[in-house]
Amino acid sequence: MPERRITVESEVGLHARPAALFVEAASKAEGNVTVAKGGGAPVSAKSILAVMGLDVRNGDEIVISADGDGAEELLDTLAGIANA
Amino acid sequence: MLLVLAPVTGAAVDLSEVPDPVFAQSMVGPGVAIRPLGEAQEAVAPVHGTVVKLHAHAFVVVDPEGRGVLVHLGIDTVKLGGDGFAKLAAEGEHVAAGTPLVRWDPARVEAKGLSSIVPVVALDADGAAISPTTAAEVAQGDRLFDWA
Repeated sequence: MPERRITVESEVGLHARPAALFVEAASKAEGNVTVAKGGGAPVSAKSILAVMGLDVRNGDEIVISADGDGAEELLDTLAGIANA
Repeated sequence: MLLVLAPVTGAAVDLSEVPDPVFAQSMVGPGVAIRPLGEAQEAVAPVHGTVVKLHAHAFVVVDPEGRGVLVHLGIDTVKLGGDGFAKLAAEGEHVAAGTPLVRWDPARVEAKGLSSIVPVVALDADGAAISPTTAAEVAQGDRLFDWA
């Protein structure tokens, strides 16, 4: 499954606004989209509860994975939101 | 059905009145917002369950069936870095609905130029699953909405 490992540059991490934008973008994908913090277990990137529960903060490393058509483009979009 | 209680006392308003598109457009989920009374007060758990996230300015309580309710105390209040907020519980704690979780002062938030409105959001819920109160004013602990 294609993945991106990034260091989150968003000032507030993946909370509130970036979290909502992140989940909205992931939810448009047909396939599986997951996000994991550090070496932790991946959770669904389509669930706002799961993403908020990860408690990703500025400077944390996350791994975003997606499968299916358009996975690379989606990962670019998600990485962009995490770093906005 | 899950009964979601008002975490604070104030005027119940549509989420669309929240000055943040992420909440106003229900991107975080459907729910109801409360314009709180402008005096120091406690914000309580809207449902019984586990406090999975407890920030000074926002918290999430997840019921035993996995339904999470987000309470956000004011808009952009993460910028205050906890100033004016006191946590009254800890993450991971199991709480009854109505348990005080954060003490805060909406007037102090407004004095810093931020909105003190409190979105109460059903995370990952379908909009059709939410039946909001018809009351214009709610007291802390009153029914705010049902989550089918």
